[in-house]
Amino acid sequence: MQEAQAVVSGISGADIALAAKYIAAGLCMGIGAIGPAIGEGLAAAHALDGMARQPEMQGALLRTMVLGQAITETTGIYSLLIAIVLLFVV
Amino acid sequence: MLKAIFDQLAGLLTHLGEKRIAILNLGGMEIRFDIMAILMSWVVIALLVILALFLRRGLRQPVTEKPSRTQAALVALIDLLKGQLAGNFASERLATMMFPFVSTIFLYVLFSNWLGVLPYMQSPTQNVNITLGLALLVAVVSHVLAARFNGVRKWLKSFIEPYPFMLPINLVGMVANPLSHAFRLFGNILAGTILVTVIMVKFAPIILPPAFHIIFGLFFGGIQAFVFALLAVAYINVAVEG
Repeated sequence: MQEAQAVVSGISGADIALAAKYIAAGLCMGIGAIGPAIGEGLAAAHALDGMARQPEMQGALLRTMVLGQAITETTGIYSLLIAIVLLFVV
Repeated sequence: MLKAIFDQLAGLLTHLGEKRIAILNLGGMEIRFDIMAILMSWVVIALLVILALFLRRGLRQPVTEKPSRTQAALVALIDLLKGQLAGNFASERLATMMFPFVSTIFLYVLFSNWLGVLPYMQSPTQNVNITLGLALLVAVVSHVLAARFNGVRKWLKSFIEPYPFMLPINLVGMVANPLSHAFRLFGNILAGTILVTVIMVKFAPIILPPAFHIIFGLFFGGIQAFVFALLAVAYINVAVEG
């Protein structure tokens, strides 16, 4: 009886898995991007503070800021990789 | 004619992420090659070699002579690389020793990232094996240098510092550093490629792609190449000095 209903409505298990995949990829990227965004913003803000106070330090500050942001970004890249795997590989 | 363009673009999206794999069978052991990545990486190497040979002709041999334009530009480039990359090494000796290695990595990654902008080309760095190879190279070089500069005993002792019970954490860090180093570059370049392709096919096939190529290909590619080289400097520096 239940199987017959499922066939009538046209939704199979594969469809549900596909929908779950897309939702999971979206959630993974959306939630995973929050942390790196805040972290990189903080790094940029404090680097700007430092540059405003000591403009002659700009080169070293910029370099260190980019390096710190690249390391902060790692967690975001991990969630991105998981989203890509969900979308294209699984 | 427009329809043909759209059809070709749709083909881009359906083949996104597909790889042309060649399989070499060695008596029960299978070795898989990603033909496109290997080909593109050789294209990058050829570009760099041809560029070097071409620029070399612009040099005037007695250095005391008035420098030509190419020479002045090259000197400026080398000074920039020395200041931005090798300037971060703690000791002068390490900087002179590792400057060629680090700037070669920078130039290779930069040209790899920029290659994806050209039509029918692909960035070799959007294959995880190539970035992982580069990151492993940096890790091995950093450990070998640490053992050479500080002696094998001190290098081994660095695994149980500050306390012996930190050994597992240090070992995990030894593996995790190259992994994150490789995945950062790979994820950034692959995400840029996917984003540009999806936008090109789904939203704006004619006008927007050049702008997105400039942002994601040239700008982010340059930044990621710089970050990759800078992190290589940082890892080597920490291994030797830390």
